[in-house]
Amino acid sequence: MTQFNWSLINFAWLPILPLIVVAVGAMGVLLAGVQVDDEDSGALGILTIALLVFAAVLSLLLFGGRPSVAFSGALAAGGYTAYFDLLVLFAAAMTALMSVEYAADQGLAGAEYYALLMFAALGMMLMAAGDDLIVIFLGLETMSIAIYALAGFMRHDPRSNEAALKYFLLGAFSTGFLLYGIAFIYGATGSIKLEPIEAALSRPATDNALLLAGVGLLLIGFGFKIAAVPFHMWAPDAYEGAPTPVTAFMAVGVKAAAFAAFVRIFMVHLGPLGPQWTMVLWVMAGLTMTVGNLAALVQTNIKRMLAYSAIAHAGYILVGMTAAAAPRAGGAILYYLLGYAFTNLGAFTVVVALERRGAIHDNLADYRGLAARHPFLAAAMALFMLSLAGVPPLAGFFGKFYIFSAALDAHLLWLTIIAVINSVISAYYYLSVLIAMYVREGGVEPAALRTRPALIATLVIAAAGTVAIGLFPQPYITSAAGAFVSALGNAPHHHVVLSR
Amino acid sequence: MLNSLAAQAIFYVIAALTVGFAALVAFSRNIVYSAFALVGALMGVAGVYILLAADFVAMVQVLLYVGGIVVLTIFAVMLTQGIGDLAVSNRAVGPGAGLAVVALAGAVMLYATLRTPWHLATAVAVASTTYGIGNAFLGVYVLPFEIASLVLLAALVGAVTISRQDTPPPADGAAEKGRS
Repeated sequence: MTQFNWSLINFAWLPILPLIVVAVGAMGVLLAGVQVDDEDSGALGILTIALLVFAAVLSLLLFGGRPSVAFSGALAAGGYTAYFDLLVLFAAAMTALMSVEYAADQGLAGAEYYALLMFAALGMMLMAAGDDLIVIFLGLETMSIAIYALAGFMRHDPRSNEAALKYFLLGAFSTGFLLYGIAFIYGATGSIKLEPIEAALSRPATDNALLLAGVGLLLIGFGFKIAAVPFHMWAPDAYEGAPTPVTAFMAVGVKAAAFAAFVRIFMVHLGPLGPQWTMVLWVMAGLTMTVGNLAALVQTNIKRMLAYSAIAHAGYILVGMTAAAAPRAGGAILYYLLGYAFTNLGAFTVVVALERRGAIHDNLADYRGLAARHPFLAAAMALFMLSLAGVPPLAGFFGKFYIFSAALDAHLLWLTIIAVINSVISAYYYLSVLIAMYVREGGVEPAALRTRPALIATLVIAAAGTVAIGLFPQPYITSAAGAFVSALGNAPHHHVVLSR
Repeated sequence: MLNSLAAQAIFYVIAALTVGFAALVAFSRNIVYSAFALVGALMGVAGVYILLAADFVAMVQVLLYVGGIVVLTIFAVMLTQGIGDLAVSNRAVGPGAGLAVVALAGAVMLYATLRTPWHLATAVAVASTTYGIGNAFLGVYVLPFEIASLVLLAALVGAVTISRQDTPPPADGAAEKGRS
């Protein structure tokens, strides 16, 4: 037996500082919660937001950092990681902000609620940073377990129970696919770290069926997490039953984190297998957009409608991944996720605004005549719906524009046509919300906004972002593209040009 | 180690037992039988680990999966009132579609297994693997090792939140009832 070799440990504190802040913060919130009643859990919400903002500031400082790997290749540090850290922390902070009054009103157990929110954010950041399939998997589990519990947080509401159970069962099922895929890839390449896997791909002997089967299983696992068709069955029920702020976090945070890992594994490191997996993604993207939009058309519940809308948007992002051969595709996906985060968080905040304890007004009919009673709320909702529909000059428009032009760069004419037709179909159900609010009469009277300053703040931030990212897309698309390039910089072997 | 005929025979016996018990888990109509059959399947996997000279993993498999998780499962099954009385507690849902998926997945697995040029590891002398595993956990894999503890913490907080009994229910309680 030899002495323990300390030099094996490659401690790099700087890249994991934001992670440490969130992890320790989650425990801190849990401890602080001992002193706070559930009815005034707002203070815990503010503490959570402060901690998340602190972590975000640290991530911002790391944003310009040189791409590097830490902890013996377990983590990738640099622009890509920092970009998704910021996105996830923003989504978590906004979720906490829209929960401040909601959680107190619904009597949710505040300490556990905010702690689980932070654990979920931690998992998402690990997924974005993971340069190693084990870290990505552990991040996914941290995130998923926290979200399962959050989805079922309203324990006396059967819909919430159903949401948690369905999400948990299908999530556990999909985890099996992911792990099986990781095992196959390990068997084929002899590594679980992304760079050695990529290096192994360029060796002629690795063109084997085991590797392709592993990649396929990985694709299914991620397909479940981003709710791509045909792995989307859980999404509408889970979205409808979960507490609305949690639904918002699922639609924005979970999706961003899953795409962070998905894009890093496939577009950055599995480039040599591009011709194989883009074929599968082509079909998946077309199906996801079409099924999501067609199903959204017939929904009468706004949370279900937004769930199908989220499925459709995952389809648009998959178009971007299918266009991996185009250099612009990576930046376009990252920009899309940013605009989508602001817009969708805003839309769900309006849904939260209409909800009170014991009065869940989440049917489309409840929105009738909202403009007359609450012009501010209705105008905000109209803005978010128009952005989701892709009306210029809002964030949603440029997101689609960049993705579709990347798809054309990659000569995906038919997929682009399908995507454009789908955008037109989607306008119908987004505009029907506007018609309900501005033309129809009836509906419900939401509680006064004046008593809910945090909700107003969430709405203002989301609306400002939706407009700003759309009106001035240049700085955002530049940093998105830069972030994607830095992920390529993490991969020293990246000289293989993607081709179809 | 697997080169000798005896070792090969042992492997096939263990593999057959594992698959047999796994099939019992899946097909048994009574969930109590399923839980007990799980012991056999997991022991079989431990046997495979021993054949591969992975002593530490085999021991952990027995301790954690057989000793911990299965016992917990059996407790959960037995303490849940009347769960064994359910006539069809383990019924197949959509056998047609399920069979199709299984056939497809099986075909892909078989194809992948047969087509792959497997790397054959050179046989090594049987030695304790604990030292190497410990070194790896505190060295190269220190970060995943630490994250795993955070996963458990998140799971604990979540489980306590979901399962604790307090606050009188305002409505009809928390029956996990699926809407059709």
